[in-house]
Amino acid sequence: MGVKSDYQDILNKLYEIVTPFIDEGIDLELNEDTELGPDLGLDSLKVMKLLLIVEDSFDVSIPLNILPDVRTIKDFAKQLEALLQEEL
Amino acid sequence: MKDKVSMQVTPTENTLSLRLADFNNLSEALDYAAKGVTGCNFYRRGKLSFVLPYEKLREDSISIARRLSGLGLKRGSRVALIADTDPDFLRFFFACQYAGLVPVPMPAFVNMGGHKAYVSQLNRLVSICGASVAIAPKAFSSFLVEAVKTLDLSFTGTPSDFLKLPESKEDLKPLDGVEPAYIQYTSGSTRFPRGAVISQASVISNLAEIGAYGLKIGRTDRSVSWLPFYHDMGLVGFVLGPVAFQRSVDYLSTYDFAVRPRQWLTIISENHATISIGPPFGYELSARCIKEDDITSLDLSSWRCAGIGAEMIRAEQMEDFAKIFAPCGFKKTAFVACYGMAECSLAVSFSALNRGLELDCVDADELALKNRAVPCDSTQKASDHNIKTFVKCGKPLPQYEIEVRDSRGAVLPERHCGLLFLRGPSIMSEYFGDPETTAEVLSPDGWLNTGDLAYITSDGDIVITGRKKDLIIIKGRNIWPQDLECLAQLQPEVRSGGVAAFSVPGPDGSEMAAMMVECRQPDKEKRHEIKERLKRMVFEEFGIDCVICLVSRNVLPRTTSGKLSRSEARKRFLDRVGTTYLTKTDVDLYKQAI
Repeated sequence: MGVKSDYQDILNKLYEIVTPFIDEGIDLELNEDTELGPDLGLDSLKVMKLLLIVEDSFDVSIPLNILPDVRTIKDFAKQLEALLQEEL
Repeated sequence: MKDKVSMQVTPTENTLSLRLADFNNLSEALDYAAKGVTGCNFYRRGKLSFVLPYEKLREDSISIARRLSGLGLKRGSRVALIADTDPDFLRFFFACQYAGLVPVPMPAFVNMGGHKAYVSQLNRLVSICGASVAIAPKAFSSFLVEAVKTLDLSFTGTPSDFLKLPESKEDLKPLDGVEPAYIQYTSGSTRFPRGAVISQASVISNLAEIGAYGLKIGRTDRSVSWLPFYHDMGLVGFVLGPVAFQRSVDYLSTYDFAVRPRQWLTIISENHATISIGPPFGYELSARCIKEDDITSLDLSSWRCAGIGAEMIRAEQMEDFAKIFAPCGFKKTAFVACYGMAECSLAVSFSALNRGLELDCVDADELALKNRAVPCDSTQKASDHNIKTFVKCGKPLPQYEIEVRDSRGAVLPERHCGLLFLRGPSIMSEYFGDPETTAEVLSPDGWLNTGDLAYITSDGDIVITGRKKDLIIIKGRNIWPQDLECLAQLQPEVRSGGVAAFSVPGPDGSEMAAMMVECRQPDKEKRHEIKERLKRMVFEEFGIDCVICLVSRNVLPRTTSGKLSRSEARKRFLDRVGTTYLTKTDVDLYKQAI
């Protein structure tokens, strides 16, 4: 990414990416505090699928060791923000 | 350590004459491999990122071994290694061999949001094996440092921290004979870990038979692996095997594979690899993620041994993989069913090479009611659903004596289903520091209770029909029910002893975890909150979805001695839902029912 993405942009893009992962029939409004695991019912393979899409759309490599500290969409956005900063 | 990176993979053909693990110990195996030109190659995100010829591996390992010696530890002291898929793991693993210290691989896999769970798992493992040294790659070092805070270790840090220590001038005395080669913790649960102690003689005997009989290793063999190094198949099969057979091997990390499964096949194709083994879900995942273009660009014709192990094999699933990749030259005769466990170093049996999966069809009623595996004609399959089909796992390696016993310990004749017992030189010495658990599975005369239910065909093939131990296996990972139960019992609303966890058939026939929890909270909203909390905790620790079913007190079935019966609980759970095999909609039904 050539330009610095600000937090809100990252967040919006994440909402867009995460939306298709919500199981049909689950009534869920995404927000910063949505928990990726339990709220979305993501198992480890779905998490990997999500990571692939996030890596591709942000053009960033997500190291495995950030995952333990990613619980909510907000956590994820913050980590992405830091990763994108590093790459500049 | 300054590494000169030559960015070309090590060759498949070696300059050395082939020796199939006829060594006394692992350090001798590396000494010999180091005289050749082969080695290991690491891929990251699809690109070759590091090349480590065995010659260089030996040199690096010896230099680390001298530094380990400098710490003045007692011979046989344990060295905990966070086993990420990187060159440092191999360097430190072999350094321990040279220095007379015992490496203990630790998991390098973390679940989303699982910080606390991972740190406490590391803490438990490092303390239970009594490690004196703990090494983690940079990416994992913060977790390790946090985990060992309360423990007293001689050294904790990253490989580069460690290399600042001075080398000792003393002669190295490598581990040998009955001394341990490593301690393998994958066989136990996370909360109650069991470390299989594998001696030098055991692992060497297993490797020798894998090489000569199981895979019939030759000069043109090359392997590819994405299996974790802390797993028995990843470690023994794809780290120690290639060294002991002087073959080149190409690695990609499990995480890389999980995010981009196609890379596995791409590396096999590019390097004309001949051997790669994985659990069924690895094949399924690759088949699911492949695109039209990939099919035309992949060449899988060199793959002669596509091993399948670690969980029950469903033949149809493997058929699908073979069909999809047939245009790439994949031969379904390359499938090899593998059976083994960490307690046996690694391998127990392989199905015959170049034959593909062989099935055994038996009468399901006879099996369920009388524990007898009466053969049926496979052509009836479509019309008659009282047939159960199993994949044959081949004959045991020559070293093993094998017995199928009934619940009273009597040896059963062929085609009678019972508990599988094994005896042979590859079997572990003990569970580390745990004589009680050791005695439960290993008799004084050397028979190991595998905990698996099996029968033997008239040709001597092993057929695994199930597990006595109540393991839940999801995507190749062993989840112990007591770990899930323990999590639930930590909740104030849950009565100790009032939880049963077990596996139920999920959508597409694979397993999923379910847990019945006795809960005294009557309030509907609070019950919902408890369920959500439990789901989150299970997810953070194990990365799996778990169906949680709250029930009233004293509802769970108990045995006459008052012990909770998981199998009975499972039966009730399934009765309640009213179906054995769940489809996607059934899962919703599950969720509604509870």
